[in-house]
Amino acid sequence: MAKKRTAFTDATLDLVPIMNLVTILIPFLLMSAQFVTLAVIDSTLPAIVNTPTLTEPDPNEDKLNLSLLITSKGFTIAGGDKVLEKDNLETGPIVACLDAACLSPESYDYQGLTKRLALLKDRYGDEENVILVPDPNTNYEVLVLTMDAARDDQADVDDEGKARLLFPNVVIAGGVE
Amino acid sequence: MGKSKASRRGGGTSELNITSMMDMMTIILVFLLKSYSTDDISVAGNDDLILPVSTSLTPPKLAVNVVISQRDILVDGEAVLQLEEVVDEVTGQPKVQIPESAKRGPKIVDLFDKLVSKAETSKGLGDRMGDEQFGFKGQVLLQCDKRLPFSVIREVMYTAGQAQFGEFRFVVIKGSG
Repeated sequence: MAKKRTAFTDATLDLVPIMNLVTILIPFLLMSAQFVTLAVIDSTLPAIVNTPTLTEPDPNEDKLNLSLLITSKGFTIAGGDKVLEKDNLETGPIVACLDAACLSPESYDYQGLTKRLALLKDRYGDEENVILVPDPNTNYEVLVLTMDAARDDQADVDDEGKARLLFPNVVIAGGVE
Repeated sequence: MGKSKASRRGGGTSELNITSMMDMMTIILVFLLKSYSTDDISVAGNDDLILPVSTSLTPPKLAVNVVISQRDILVDGEAVLQLEEVVDEVTGQPKVQIPESAKRGPKIVDLFDKLVSKAETSKGLGDRMGDEQFGFKGQVLLQCDKRLPFSVIREVMYTAGQAQFGEFRFVVIKGSG
Protein backbone atom coordinates (compact mmCIF):
# COMPACT_ATOMS: atom_id res chain seq x y z
CA MET A 1 0.00 0.00 0.00
CA ALA A 2 1.28 3.38 -0.89
CA LYS A 3 2.16 5.68 2.01
CA LYS A 4 0.32 8.96 2.14
CA ARG A 5 2.87 11.71 2.40
CA THR A 6 2.15 14.71 4.62
CA ALA A 7 3.20 17.99 3.15
CA PHE A 8 5.35 20.05 5.54
CA THR A 9 5.49 23.74 5.01
CA ASP A 10 8.55 25.68 6.15
CA ALA A 11 7.08 27.44 9.23
CA THR A 12 9.49 29.96 10.78
CA LEU A 13 8.55 31.75 13.96
CA ASP A 14 8.42 35.53 13.61
CA LEU A 15 10.79 36.70 16.34
CA VAL A 16 10.84 40.37 15.38
CA PRO A 17 8.13 41.57 17.88
CA ILE A 18 9.79 39.79 20.79
CA MET A 19 13.13 41.25 19.71
CA ASN A 20 11.56 44.70 19.88
CA LEU A 21 10.28 44.02 23.39
CA VAL A 22 13.64 42.74 24.60
CA THR A 23 15.45 45.71 23.05
CA ILE A 24 13.23 48.05 25.06
CA LEU A 25 13.59 46.01 28.27
CA ILE A 26 17.39 45.90 28.19
CA PRO A 27 18.05 49.68 28.52
CA PHE A 28 15.42 49.90 31.27
CA LEU A 29 16.98 47.05 33.24
CA LEU A 30 20.48 48.42 32.64
CA MET A 31 19.41 51.65 34.34
CA SER A 32 17.97 49.81 37.36
CA ALA A 33 20.73 47.24 37.65
CA GLN A 34 23.08 47.43 40.60
CA PHE A 35 26.28 45.51 40.20
CA VAL A 36 27.45 45.94 43.81
CA THR A 37 25.39 44.92 46.83
CA LEU A 38 25.25 47.46 49.61
CA ALA A 39 25.00 46.91 53.34
CA VAL A 40 25.10 49.14 56.40
CA ILE A 41 26.90 49.13 59.74
CA ASP A 42 24.80 50.61 62.53
CA SER A 43 26.41 52.88 65.05
CA THR A 44 25.37 55.48 67.59
CA LEU A 45 26.87 58.48 69.29
CA PRO A 46 27.86 58.06 72.93
CA ALA A 47 24.84 58.77 75.14
CA ILE A 48 24.99 61.83 77.39
CA VAL A 49 23.15 61.18 80.63
CA ASN A 50 22.19 64.32 82.54
CA THR A 51 20.11 62.67 85.21
CA PRO A 52 22.09 61.60 88.27
CA THR A 53 22.20 57.86 88.84
CA LEU A 54 20.27 56.84 91.91
CA THR A 55 22.15 53.64 92.52
CA GLU A 56 25.87 53.53 93.13
CA PRO A 57 27.76 51.21 90.79
CA ASP A 58 28.67 47.97 92.50
CA PRO A 59 32.48 47.77 92.78
CA ASN A 60 32.29 43.96 92.81
CA GLU A 61 30.24 43.84 89.60
CA ASP A 62 32.29 42.26 86.83
CA LYS A 63 31.59 44.59 83.88
CA LEU A 64 33.77 44.84 80.81
CA ASN A 65 33.19 48.39 79.42
CA LEU A 66 35.22 47.56 76.34
CA SER A 67 36.96 50.39 74.49
CA LEU A 68 39.14 50.03 71.45
CA LEU A 69 41.71 52.71 70.67
CA ILE A 70 42.91 52.94 67.06
CA THR A 71 46.18 54.81 66.73
CA SER A 72 49.09 54.98 64.30
CA LYS A 73 50.77 52.19 66.28
CA GLY A 74 47.92 49.70 66.18
CA PHE A 75 45.02 48.79 68.47
CA THR A 76 44.83 49.15 72.22
CA ILE A 77 42.09 47.24 74.01
CA ALA A 78 40.91 48.93 77.19
CA GLY A 79 38.58 47.44 79.76
CA GLY A 80 39.73 43.84 79.69
CA ASP A 81 42.60 44.02 82.21
CA LYS A 82 41.55 40.84 83.98
CA VAL A 83 41.73 38.74 80.82
CA LEU A 84 44.31 40.49 78.68
CA GLU A 85 47.36 40.79 80.89
CA LYS A 86 49.20 44.02 80.22
CA ASP A 87 52.71 42.61 79.94
CA ASN A 88 51.85 39.71 77.66
CA LEU A 89 52.75 40.54 74.06
CA GLU A 90 50.98 37.48 72.65
CA THR A 91 47.63 37.89 74.35
CA GLY A 92 47.95 41.37 75.86
CA PRO A 93 45.79 44.43 75.15
CA ILE A 94 48.12 45.99 72.56
CA VAL A 95 47.78 44.66 69.00
CA ALA A 96 50.66 46.19 67.05
CA CYS A 97 50.61 46.77 63.31
CA LEU A 98 52.05 44.14 61.00
CA ASP A 99 54.56 46.66 59.69
CA ALA A 100 56.24 49.23 61.90
CA ALA A 101 54.77 52.38 60.41
CA CYS A 102 51.08 51.39 59.97
CA LEU A 103 51.16 53.05 56.55
CA SER A 104 48.17 51.38 54.93
CA PRO A 105 44.84 49.97 56.19
CA GLU A 106 46.17 46.47 55.49
CA SER A 107 49.01 47.04 57.98
CA TYR A 108 46.69 46.69 60.95
CA ASP A 109 46.43 43.20 62.49
CA TYR A 110 42.65 42.61 62.34
CA GLN A 111 42.93 38.85 62.86
CA GLY A 112 45.04 39.41 65.97
CA LEU A 113 42.42 41.86 67.24
CA THR A 114 39.60 39.36 66.65
CA LYS A 115 41.53 36.67 68.58
CA ARG A 116 42.00 38.95 71.60
CA LEU A 117 38.35 40.02 71.51
CA ALA A 118 37.29 36.37 71.34
CA LEU A 119 39.22 35.79 74.60
CA LEU A 120 37.21 38.60 76.18
CA LYS A 121 33.95 37.23 74.80
CA ASP A 122 34.71 33.84 76.43
CA ARG A 123 34.72 35.57 79.80
CA TYR A 124 32.02 38.21 79.22
CA GLY A 125 29.49 36.29 77.13
CA ASP A 126 26.62 38.78 77.63
CA GLU A 127 28.58 41.88 76.62
CA GLU A 128 27.88 43.14 73.09
CA ASN A 129 29.04 46.76 73.19
CA VAL A 130 32.33 48.21 72.07
CA ILE A 131 33.38 51.86 72.08
CA LEU A 132 35.71 52.77 69.23
CA VAL A 133 38.13 55.61 69.90
CA PRO A 134 40.03 56.33 66.67
CA ASP A 135 42.90 58.73 66.16
CA PRO A 136 41.75 61.74 64.01
CA ASN A 137 44.10 60.73 61.20
CA THR A 138 42.80 57.16 61.06
CA ASN A 139 41.44 56.23 57.64
CA TYR A 140 37.73 55.53 57.44
CA GLU A 141 38.55 52.16 55.87
CA VAL A 142 40.50 51.16 59.00
CA LEU A 143 37.47 52.11 61.09
CA VAL A 144 35.17 49.88 59.00
CA LEU A 145 37.62 46.95 59.03
CA THR A 146 37.97 47.33 62.82
CA MET A 147 34.18 47.24 63.21
CA ASP A 148 34.17 44.05 61.10
CA ALA A 149 36.91 42.51 63.26
CA ALA A 150 35.01 43.37 66.45
CA ARG A 151 31.59 42.24 65.17
CA ASP A 152 32.22 38.53 64.61
CA ASP A 153 34.89 35.88 64.39
CA GLN A 154 34.84 34.58 60.81
CA ALA A 155 37.26 31.80 61.79
CA ASP A 156 34.76 30.39 64.32
CA VAL A 157 31.74 29.25 62.32
CA ASP A 158 28.86 27.08 63.63
CA ASP A 159 27.06 24.23 61.82
CA GLU A 160 24.73 26.66 60.04
CA GLY A 161 27.68 28.61 58.69
CA LYS A 162 27.16 31.60 61.00
CA ALA A 163 30.23 33.30 62.41
CA ARG A 164 30.48 33.66 66.20
CA LEU A 165 29.18 37.06 67.33
CA LEU A 166 31.61 39.06 69.42
CA PHE A 167 30.76 42.74 70.00
CA PRO A 168 28.27 43.87 67.31
CA ASN A 169 27.02 47.09 68.98
CA VAL A 170 29.42 49.87 68.04
CA VAL A 171 29.59 53.31 69.61
CA ILE A 172 32.02 55.77 68.05
CA ALA A 173 33.62 58.21 70.46
CA GLY A 174 35.42 61.48 69.78
CA GLY A 175 38.88 60.13 69.28
CA VAL A 176 42.41 60.44 70.63
CA GLU A 177 43.87 63.93 70.39
CA MET B 1 19.83 23.07 -17.61
CA GLY B 2 20.89 24.70 -14.34
CA LYS B 3 19.79 28.09 -12.99
CA SER B 4 21.37 31.14 -14.49
CA LYS B 5 24.06 32.97 -12.41
CA ALA B 6 21.83 36.04 -11.89
CA SER B 7 18.85 34.15 -10.50
CA ARG B 8 21.10 32.25 -8.08
CA ARG B 9 22.58 35.47 -6.63
CA GLY B 10 19.62 37.73 -5.97
CA GLY B 11 16.46 36.24 -7.27
CA GLY B 12 14.44 35.42 -4.07
CA THR B 13 13.84 37.32 -0.82
CA SER B 14 16.44 36.67 1.89
CA GLU B 15 15.58 36.80 5.61
CA LEU B 16 17.99 37.59 8.41
CA ASN B 17 18.32 34.73 10.88
CA ILE B 18 17.87 36.37 14.27
CA THR B 19 17.62 33.21 16.36
CA SER B 20 21.22 33.47 17.61
CA MET B 21 20.73 37.14 18.44
CA MET B 22 17.56 36.19 20.34
CA ASP B 23 19.60 33.69 22.38
CA MET B 24 22.11 36.39 23.26
CA MET B 25 19.36 38.86 24.20
CA THR B 26 17.68 36.27 26.42
CA ILE B 27 20.92 35.66 28.33
CA ILE B 28 21.44 39.41 28.80
CA LEU B 29 17.83 39.82 29.91
CA VAL B 30 18.13 37.09 32.55
CA PHE B 31 21.41 38.56 33.83
CA LEU B 32 19.93 42.04 34.08
CA LEU B 33 16.78 40.76 35.77
CA LYS B 34 19.04 39.12 38.38
CA SER B 35 20.92 42.39 38.91
CA TYR B 36 17.69 44.39 39.13
CA SER B 37 17.76 46.28 42.36
CA THR B 38 14.92 47.59 44.48
CA ASP B 39 17.25 48.84 47.25
CA ASP B 40 16.26 52.00 49.05
CA ILE B 41 19.59 53.60 48.23
CA SER B 42 21.88 53.68 45.28
CA VAL B 43 25.46 54.79 44.95
CA ALA B 44 26.79 56.81 42.06
CA GLY B 45 30.34 55.55 41.96
CA ASN B 46 33.12 57.94 41.00
CA ASP B 47 36.77 58.56 41.83
CA ASP B 48 35.90 60.86 44.74
CA LEU B 49 33.64 58.34 46.45
CA ILE B 50 34.96 54.82 46.92
CA LEU B 51 33.04 52.94 49.59
CA PRO B 52 34.88 50.47 51.83
CA VAL B 53 34.14 46.74 51.67
CA SER B 54 32.71 45.10 54.79
CA THR B 55 31.44 41.73 55.99
CA SER B 56 28.26 43.34 57.35
CA LEU B 57 25.02 41.76 56.11
CA THR B 58 22.52 44.37 57.36
CA PRO B 59 20.45 45.66 54.43
CA PRO B 60 20.17 49.44 54.01
CA LYS B 61 16.97 51.28 54.91
CA LEU B 62 15.78 54.67 53.80
CA ALA B 63 17.00 57.62 55.87
CA VAL B 64 18.53 61.05 55.32
CA ASN B 65 21.44 60.42 52.99
CA VAL B 66 24.71 62.23 53.76
CA VAL B 67 27.53 61.68 51.27
CA ILE B 68 31.10 62.70 52.16
CA SER B 69 33.36 62.40 49.15
CA GLN B 70 36.93 63.63 48.69
CA ARG B 71 35.55 66.84 47.26
CA ASP B 72 32.29 67.78 49.00
CA ILE B 73 29.45 66.94 51.37
CA LEU B 74 25.98 66.28 49.97
CA VAL B 75 22.67 65.88 51.80
CA ASP B 76 20.06 63.95 49.81
CA GLY B 77 21.94 64.73 46.60
CA GLU B 78 22.25 68.47 47.29
CA ALA B 79 25.78 69.89 47.67
CA VAL B 80 26.19 71.58 51.06
CA LEU B 81 29.91 72.17 51.44
CA GLN B 82 33.16 71.95 49.48
CA LEU B 83 36.06 70.27 51.29
CA GLU B 84 39.61 71.56 51.02
CA GLU B 85 42.88 69.73 50.56
CA VAL B 86 45.80 70.79 52.73
CA VAL B 87 49.25 69.47 53.53
CA ASP B 88 49.46 67.79 56.92
CA GLU B 89 51.99 69.61 59.13
CA VAL B 90 53.15 66.42 60.85
CA THR B 91 53.33 63.89 58.01
CA GLY B 92 53.74 66.24 55.04
CA GLN B 93 51.07 64.26 53.18
CA PRO B 94 48.02 65.90 51.55
CA LYS B 95 44.81 65.45 53.50
CA VAL B 96 41.19 66.50 53.16
CA GLN B 97 39.61 68.70 55.80
CA ILE B 98 36.57 70.87 56.40
CA PRO B 99 37.40 74.57 55.87
CA GLU B 100 37.71 76.49 59.15
CA SER B 101 35.45 79.22 57.73
CA ALA B 102 32.58 76.71 57.45
CA LYS B 103 32.75 75.73 61.11
CA ARG B 104 31.70 77.19 64.42
CA GLY B 105 33.73 75.13 66.86
CA PRO B 106 33.47 71.56 65.61
CA LYS B 107 29.97 72.24 64.18
CA ILE B 108 29.65 72.62 60.39
CA VAL B 109 27.15 75.47 60.07
CA ASP B 110 25.69 74.82 56.58
CA LEU B 111 25.36 71.11 57.22
CA PHE B 112 23.70 71.77 60.58
CA ASP B 113 21.12 74.10 58.99
CA LYS B 114 20.37 71.59 56.24
CA LEU B 115 19.97 68.69 58.67
CA VAL B 116 17.76 70.73 60.99
CA SER B 117 15.47 71.54 58.04
CA LYS B 118 15.42 67.83 57.11
CA ALA B 119 14.51 66.93 60.68
CA GLU B 120 11.71 69.53 60.73
CA THR B 121 10.33 68.22 57.40
CA SER B 122 10.45 64.65 58.68
CA LYS B 123 8.70 65.58 61.95
CA GLY B 124 6.00 67.53 60.06
CA LEU B 125 5.42 64.61 57.72
CA GLY B 126 5.11 62.22 60.66
CA ASP B 127 2.57 64.51 62.37
CA ARG B 128 0.45 64.87 59.21
CA MET B 129 0.46 61.16 58.40
CA GLY B 130 -0.19 60.17 62.02
CA ASP B 131 1.94 57.11 61.49
CA GLU B 132 5.18 56.33 63.30
CA GLN B 133 6.54 54.77 60.15
CA PHE B 134 6.87 58.19 58.55
CA GLY B 135 7.95 59.95 61.74
CA PHE B 136 11.36 61.30 62.61
CA LYS B 137 13.75 58.60 63.79
CA GLY B 138 17.01 60.54 63.80
CA GLN B 139 18.73 58.16 61.41
CA VAL B 140 21.41 59.13 58.90
CA LEU B 141 22.86 57.07 56.09
CA LEU B 142 26.53 57.99 55.84
CA GLN B 143 28.29 57.27 52.57
CA CYS B 144 31.94 58.11 53.12
CA ASP B 145 34.97 57.73 50.91
CA LYS B 146 37.28 55.09 52.37
CA ARG B 147 40.37 57.38 52.22
CA LEU B 148 38.85 60.11 54.40
CA PRO B 149 40.45 60.80 57.77
CA PHE B 150 38.28 60.18 60.83
CA SER B 151 38.55 63.88 61.79
CA VAL B 152 36.21 64.82 58.88
CA ILE B 153 33.70 62.07 59.71
CA ARG B 154 33.83 63.00 63.40
CA GLU B 155 32.85 66.60 62.67
CA VAL B 156 30.01 65.49 60.40
CA MET B 157 28.80 63.07 63.11
CA TYR B 158 29.03 65.77 65.76
CA THR B 159 27.04 68.19 63.57
CA ALA B 160 24.42 65.51 62.85
CA GLY B 161 24.19 64.78 66.57
CA GLN B 162 23.57 68.47 67.26
CA ALA B 163 20.75 68.38 64.67
CA GLN B 164 19.10 65.47 66.58
CA PHE B 165 20.42 62.72 64.30
CA GLY B 166 21.96 60.23 66.71
CA GLU B 167 21.84 56.97 64.75
CA PHE B 168 24.34 56.42 61.99
CA ARG B 169 24.28 53.82 59.27
CA PHE B 170 27.60 53.58 57.48
CA VAL B 171 27.01 52.42 53.92
CA VAL B 172 29.51 49.82 52.76
CA ILE B 173 29.92 47.41 49.89
CA LYS B 174 28.97 43.91 50.93
CA GLY B 175 32.04 41.70 50.60
CA SER B 176 32.61 38.02 51.20
CA GLY B 177 32.84 37.06 54.83
